[in-house]
Amino acid sequence: MKSEALFLKNAQTFAEAMVRCGVRYHFAYPITPATEVMKHTAVILPQYGGRMVQMESELAVANALAGCACTGKLGATSTSGPGMSLMQETISFMAGGELPCIMLDAMRVGPGDGDIVGAQSNYFQATRGGGHGDYRVIVLAPASGQEIVDIMPEAVKLAYTYRTPVLFVVDGVTCTMTESAIFPEAHDYASEFDTSSWAYTGTGDHSKRYLLTGSYTHAQGEELNQRLLAKYERIKEQEQRWEEIQVEDADVVLVAFGIHGRMGQDLVSNMRAEGKKVGLIRPISLWPFPDKAFENLPESVKSMLVVEMNHGQMLDDVRLAVNGRIPVHFLGKTGGDMPLCTLAEMTAKINTLL
Amino acid sequence: MHELAKIYGETLLLDKKFSYCPGCGHGIVTRLVAEAIEALGIRERTVSVVGIGCGGFSHHYMEIDAIEAMHGRAPAVAVGYKVANPDNVVYTYQGDGDCSAIGLAELLHTANRGLPVTTFMINNNLFGMTGGQMSPATLEGQVTSTTPKGRDVHQHGYPLRVPEMMADMRGAKYVARESVCDAKSIRKAASSVRKALDCQMKGLGFSFVEFIVPCPTGLKMSVPDAYKWSKEKMVEYFKPQVFKNEMEQNDEN
Repeated sequence: MKSEALFLKNAQTFAEAMVRCGVRYHFAYPITPATEVMKHTAVILPQYGGRMVQMESELAVANALAGCACTGKLGATSTSGPGMSLMQETISFMAGGELPCIMLDAMRVGPGDGDIVGAQSNYFQATRGGGHGDYRVIVLAPASGQEIVDIMPEAVKLAYTYRTPVLFVVDGVTCTMTESAIFPEAHDYASEFDTSSWAYTGTGDHSKRYLLTGSYTHAQGEELNQRLLAKYERIKEQEQRWEEIQVEDADVVLVAFGIHGRMGQDLVSNMRAEGKKVGLIRPISLWPFPDKAFENLPESVKSMLVVEMNHGQMLDDVRLAVNGRIPVHFLGKTGGDMPLCTLAEMTAKINTLL
Repeated sequence: MHELAKIYGETLLLDKKFSYCPGCGHGIVTRLVAEAIEALGIRERTVSVVGIGCGGFSHHYMEIDAIEAMHGRAPAVAVGYKVANPDNVVYTYQGDGDCSAIGLAELLHTANRGLPVTTFMINNNLFGMTGGQMSPATLEGQVTSTTPKGRDVHQHGYPLRVPEMMADMRGAKYVARESVCDAKSIRKAASSVRKALDCQMKGLGFSFVEFIVPCPTGLKMSVPDAYKWSKEKMVEYFKPQVFKNEMEQNDEN
């Protein structure tokens, strides 16, 4: 299959991208807006010798995904809001069990049953480890269909290199947008990783292995947590990803991810055209949060504005990264017909800070 | 131990000390499962997905790969495993709390889905590991640490019969309830374990065996009394029987 441009809803783009990069098993349960992913994989996965398996609940989804990961093969899931909450116990399990997989949270308005319109309300849940225990998962926040395609090979490599779930969080706006993306030739990255040293494939070629995330001795529990901690430190050091535009002489820096980050690209060029020194930091990895982007901000930066489709979640991470050196302001909303801040609203807010 | 391995095979780890309480019925079922794996010659491609509770220890006494699942979710883990690795034999080993309280949805949907995986449900009629609380299988009027005046069916419902719910599911091909309360029953149970795994190996569909096992510690009885009580009270309500065996048309034996 050659490189080709496809005009797809970004949820479908996610499905295409993960399958073309080696995901062969997709476990899912219908929920808006993530349902589009499973509809698409139900059609395309058999063409790659794989399967979409519709489960009876998100509890079953996450655990089937864990079972799949135990074989060393690459599985995925996709869900939204309440479905993500139901999976948290097992995400903790997979983090503790060091099982690789790809996940998508097409974020919508919460809390409770919530609303199906897009939001960025699950930032805390995604980046803090929404389940129990001291763990993190790698969280990626692409801002367009093309970026979903471009970052998917990296996601597969991260999942296997660090043996961890890799969670995509996409705001519902980006998820349901239809746009073109250029797909490179399909390449099964997953099968390039040797899992024979850890996969639970039967004692034919190894002595007994068992996946233990509990009922261990106290010493084993400490050892597991120390090993995870060391891994998370490595990830924090090596895997921060972000885009920055014209920060080097900016008076005000906009910080936003997903759709707001993408709007920020236009905002910077519009305001720069008016002679206003505005820059953008768009985090692509939400965990690890790109602290490094904030380490050496130029003296010119007087203030920062965080814009989110929630009531201020990534805001905390920006404030931690800036550590009181620069005032950090916030603009955001959630719920309603369209929880997106318009470009005009973002521009007006920045004008008050210049 | 090397000499014993010649007699018993390589599956059962005879030098491993049991962490089951003295007299616990789990020891019997664990041995039956290990012996069936050995007899069928599938040790190297068998994976056990164990539940949370005393049954979670079962794999430690066998030289097979194992996955300790989250509480109640073992059947869903088994489904995901089997989808990705259909050549391996996958069985779940769960207690009555794991199977029929927190994990009933996963169990029944796995039975109905009909993928060839196997569940062994070890019914000791209470939550053993946490110290003898009421489970769905606790009998009416039975005193446990959470039913100090006995199980009140108006508040807690009736003891839940699980394999009866699967009898009508077309995906389930072998469904049985056995007891390990006496020697004769144990011999029957051994046959069911083997059939359940054989059903999976033939790719026919889901297979399930429930075992009535005494928990002397949880019942706060002596070992002989626990076996006597289970044989009389439990077996009276949870009647051992083969509910379904759709293996015949493919079974030469």
